[in-house]
Amino acid sequence: MENDYSISELLTVFLARELKDGEVLRVGVAMPVAEAAVRLAHLTHGPNMDLVFLGARMNVAHLETIPMPAFGWDRRVVRWAESFSDTGHRFDRVKDWNNHVFFIGGVQVDAYGNTNLIGVGPDYRRLKFRGPGSVGTPTLSTHVGRYYIVLNSHNPRVLVEKCDYVSAFGWGTGGADARRKLGLPGGGPRFCITPLCIFDFAEDTKRMRLRSVHHGISPERVRQETGFEIVMPSSVPTTEPPTADELQVLRSRVDTAGRLRV
Amino acid sequence: MNTERRQRIFDEVEAAGWLQDGMTVAIGQPTPMALVRQIIRRGLKDLTIVDAGFSLDLLIAAGCARKVVSYYAGGGFGNPVGPSFRRAAERGEIEVWECEEGILCAGLQAAAQSLPFLPWRGGVGTSLPEVNPDLKIFMDPLRGETLIAVPPIKPDIAIMHAAHADAYGNVQHVGGPGWIDLFMCRAADRVIVQVDQVISNEQVRSDPWKTTIAPADAIVRAPYGAHPFYSRGYHLQDNEHLKLYSEAANRAAAGDRKALDDYLERFCRKPATHADYLELIGIKRLLALYEY
Repeated sequence: MENDYSISELLTVFLARELKDGEVLRVGVAMPVAEAAVRLAHLTHGPNMDLVFLGARMNVAHLETIPMPAFGWDRRVVRWAESFSDTGHRFDRVKDWNNHVFFIGGVQVDAYGNTNLIGVGPDYRRLKFRGPGSVGTPTLSTHVGRYYIVLNSHNPRVLVEKCDYVSAFGWGTGGADARRKLGLPGGGPRFCITPLCIFDFAEDTKRMRLRSVHHGISPERVRQETGFEIVMPSSVPTTEPPTADELQVLRSRVDTAGRLRV
Repeated sequence: MNTERRQRIFDEVEAAGWLQDGMTVAIGQPTPMALVRQIIRRGLKDLTIVDAGFSLDLLIAAGCARKVVSYYAGGGFGNPVGPSFRRAAERGEIEVWECEEGILCAGLQAAAQSLPFLPWRGGVGTSLPEVNPDLKIFMDPLRGETLIAVPPIKPDIAIMHAAHADAYGNVQHVGGPGWIDLFMCRAADRVIVQVDQVISNEQVRSDPWKTTIAPADAIVRAPYGAHPFYSRGYHLQDNEHLKLYSEAANRAAAGDRKALDDYLERFCRKPATHADYLELIGIKRLLALYEY
């Protein structure tokens, strides 16, 4: 029973524990782990969190269930909204975003947490893979207090030494002052979360460092599946598993359709 | 002398007639599909499209777009990228004006305010100014901070969908406009809004705070005009129909255009009017979506 949870459930619970009561959590489309994590955190320890989905701001901690949307563009999440950013400027109050938290994916992610949603290939006019575009990630990553890189695959094509293009600036070419030098007020990426492991960023260089590996995964496997040299501590713990209570809330009150269990 | 106030109601064929080859067209959310289908039916070419998602992909598939101003071209239904956008961009058939949400807002706002540029911080340190040379990095003259100068993005025409408008162009959304709609309307030379229902001028006057676009240049009667998208206050999104397009576009991206051409012919080119399109979709399907 001890390991009777899926990787997506493990990542959801890990992320949920990261989120603090009173924070404003902004989730875009096509990020099921982040969507589940903010709901779980809201129900377990965040009655004063605000959840922002596609411009709709809500507090729904009183609900028995906060199910996941049926599909990425499901605008019916607005049934929970208390207000919308869509009537004004979505980015009117970036000065207040220090307690905002955001989640970001990428076609590529590099050793310093820069992310790429633009595309892959040396010639921008003839990309080998054209990505979806930057959405709002350049502005969000510039201003939010911190953000999490959440990946649904871990391989050397995604985790690269240097992104072909950068759509959201993480730590640039490294160094604790990389963001300050550019005048970027937000705190930058805190962790990079993958199906194999959790990375954090070394304090001085801001290069990705292996923080923990998931149950059954060796640091060597992570090294093989990563396209850059990882800062490797002498000992790497196993990612702490979900508790029975966390899984109970997640399965019965958030992921009621069981999408994260596969 | 004529003392009667001019009404602004046009049908979708007349209103789409304002569009010409080579224009810049901004498209709101939910997508004004009755007007988009007329653009495709007319076979307009070389448009610069300011849009995201399904309608953007459809206009590219139909060969209407030369340039795309887009912050996001996601595909939905398991496609991380719109299939027609991806194929056309990779083959160099469309030019992409690379941006993001904040930069797009700044560019539209600069156009609305007749400014040569507006500054934006989001994107500093990224590749956006490299892949889009219209975006200029500059040093702000007051505090010496590094910022991006975003030039005006000026649509010739913005097309929108809303729940309600009166005959004089006063638009009242139900549940608010799409997040970028009002930026597009302020920036564009002319605004066409298709609506689920034309309401009375008295109803508008009873709650003028509800008026979101004031005024639009043309109002088009288009019940279910957002189909296959949702319209707040009227109907849900038709996922079965969107999947039909998605599968056809995926096959086209893999090299077989037949299903996509069939889709375009059947749903966009053949129905001469929006009413013909609704007949094709069928009353049963439409009624099944009639809740929100």
